[in-house]
Amino acid sequence: MRYRRSAAFAVVATLALTACGGSGGSGENSGSTSSGKLRIKLVINGGLGDKSFFDSAHEGLKRAEKELGYELKVVELGSDRTKWEPGFEDAASADDYDILAAGTFDVTDYIGKLAPEFPDKKFWVFDAPVDYSGKNGACSNKCENVYSVTFKQNEGGYLAGFLAEKLVAGKALKGTESLKKVGVMGGVKIPVIDDFIVGFKAGFKQAGGKNSDVVVQYVGGDKPFGDPAKGKEISTAMYGQGAALVWPVAGLSGLGTFESAVTAKRYAFGVDSDQYQTLADPAQKDTVVTSILKNVGNALYKAAQDEKTGSLKYGAVETVGLAQDAVGYVDDAHFEELVPDKIRTELEEAADQVKSGSVTVPSAF
Amino acid sequence: MSAVLDVVLSSAFLAAVLRIATPYLLAAFGGLVAERAGISNIALEGQMLAAACMGALVAGYSGSVALGALCGVALAVLLGLLLAALRLELGADAIIAGIGLNLLASGGTAYAVYTLLDDKGGTSGLKSGSLPTVTLPGVESIPLVGDVLSGQNMITWLAFLAAPLVAWLFYRTRFGFHLRAVGETPDAAESVGIPVRRVQYTGLALSGALAGAAGVFLSMGYVSFFVRDMTAGRGFIALAAVFLGGLRPWGVFLAALGFGAAEALAVQLGTLDVPPQLVSTIPYAMTLVALALYAWRRKRRGLAGGVAASL
Repeated sequence: MRYRRSAAFAVVATLALTACGGSGGSGENSGSTSSGKLRIKLVINGGLGDKSFFDSAHEGLKRAEKELGYELKVVELGSDRTKWEPGFEDAASADDYDILAAGTFDVTDYIGKLAPEFPDKKFWVFDAPVDYSGKNGACSNKCENVYSVTFKQNEGGYLAGFLAEKLVAGKALKGTESLKKVGVMGGVKIPVIDDFIVGFKAGFKQAGGKNSDVVVQYVGGDKPFGDPAKGKEISTAMYGQGAALVWPVAGLSGLGTFESAVTAKRYAFGVDSDQYQTLADPAQKDTVVTSILKNVGNALYKAAQDEKTGSLKYGAVETVGLAQDAVGYVDDAHFEELVPDKIRTELEEAADQVKSGSVTVPSAF
Repeated sequence: MSAVLDVVLSSAFLAAVLRIATPYLLAAFGGLVAERAGISNIALEGQMLAAACMGALVAGYSGSVALGALCGVALAVLLGLLLAALRLELGADAIIAGIGLNLLASGGTAYAVYTLLDDKGGTSGLKSGSLPTVTLPGVESIPLVGDVLSGQNMITWLAFLAAPLVAWLFYRTRFGFHLRAVGETPDAAESVGIPVRRVQYTGLALSGALAGAAGVFLSMGYVSFFVRDMTAGRGFIALAAVFLGGLRPWGVFLAALGFGAAEALAVQLGTLDVPPQLVSTIPYAMTLVALALYAWRRKRRGLAGGVAASL
């Protein structure tokens, strides 16, 4: 009996070893597919359909697939944090990609650990840099196969704050003439979100407002970027305290803001992508003055272009902002209808000042 | 401190408490009915989620909010019956089966929305509308109370009516007696001729209906669309309220209302100059304090009982 069991064990062990050897063997001829296309694997620590951040990244890479001849594969890890680390390990150790793209501050540790283990692969990290110094255990190879791109969301925030104060001070929004306050609703208190808010306050002040008139609150809780009911509750409280407009920076939780804006007969800004376009209800659309864009997709598309020409810089962080069109605001017919000409011109001037570098926006980093 | 007091005494705060407590109340009563029937309903979260999704989808496609709400609640009832069947017919562990149903609801709703709308986030691209609000004639003119009560969603009214209804059901009806007997000792109940299984199926169906109403409120009252995993742990907080309330209707009512008040407080204080991390711990800290108080009270009562017995 004992012999039989150990024999069985031996067989299983051999099989397992062969299996490992097999996958190792196929790893050697990696590089590209038979068609010669580079394969990008977008690994999302969350889900698509957020109408903003991840959808924008996905859209940019889809464009790269169509126009630049890449192959794209998307892996969604879901919102359960405990599944992220093993998810990234699985994604990185599978040999079905040449470039692994992932975003947000949360993934930097995973990528920092995985990149040295797979030196033949390339990694793109968007919205936060890996720790290139190699301290703290990650990036033992100085992450020389990792390209990081970060966004000056503080510049987008600056324009939002500037516009908000001009609108409030100029009594430009119908029904809010007596109000002075504005609200910003963040998802959670993390540097990326605070960067929006720091910029917003700076812009608000630049336009002549007082910092005490900016009400800031975070959604927090179990699903900070996916709890629209709580987002609506917080926005309602902000409007109740006299905010003329609220700017949600909280993913899907922000959808609650547009609903409460309708009830309170006040206004809102969108974030990351053009939310006027993604809303279905005309009453909600009407509350969206503009959307502050953080064009993750454009940045990834540009990275894909640079990769083709060989000019993409690995082992370093690239920071993009207003000047690179990675950050901006929506200037459409609805915007022109709500915002007087004078304020629109002033906003353009403010944007030019940031682009040219004559105004430096403070950052939360 | 006076700023905090101003906030707590404002009608906006009290109205927010009622809104926030609504899903907790309904789901907690759902959990209570199941618990007293002898089957723990861990699947409250999944039932809420499934109902929220179904409600928004049906209302969006049919254009009828009422039909959507009915279908949402019906789906939650079916899930309740499924849980009962898994437990009673197949002998599955209710906790494991409940976890399974929660996972099914989370994945199933996301899949349904993606298949129908090609959107992985939710149904915000589909106009589905909300259930009507109710304003009692005359109430609006009463100071404070009028501001708090007017314009609340009909499901909020239902949630507060559920407390006396469930209490009446438990202690004043034949079904309530049977339900509690079955939950305490099914064998004894059976020996006196109570149809144990039928009572348990009915209890779980009722439990599902209440959780379903909570879910429908989220997607068709609180906001007017469904978002993936939008219940955000509310089913589990409701479950905590069931035990915190000592498995009694009015206790559960107070516990669920307490959770609602804690969260409303966190929302209102969040705009003041208080660190957000501290504010977001309020509901959780309150849970721990309340559970500790509950345990302490029980222990004291247990000791007293022991002394009495030994005398």
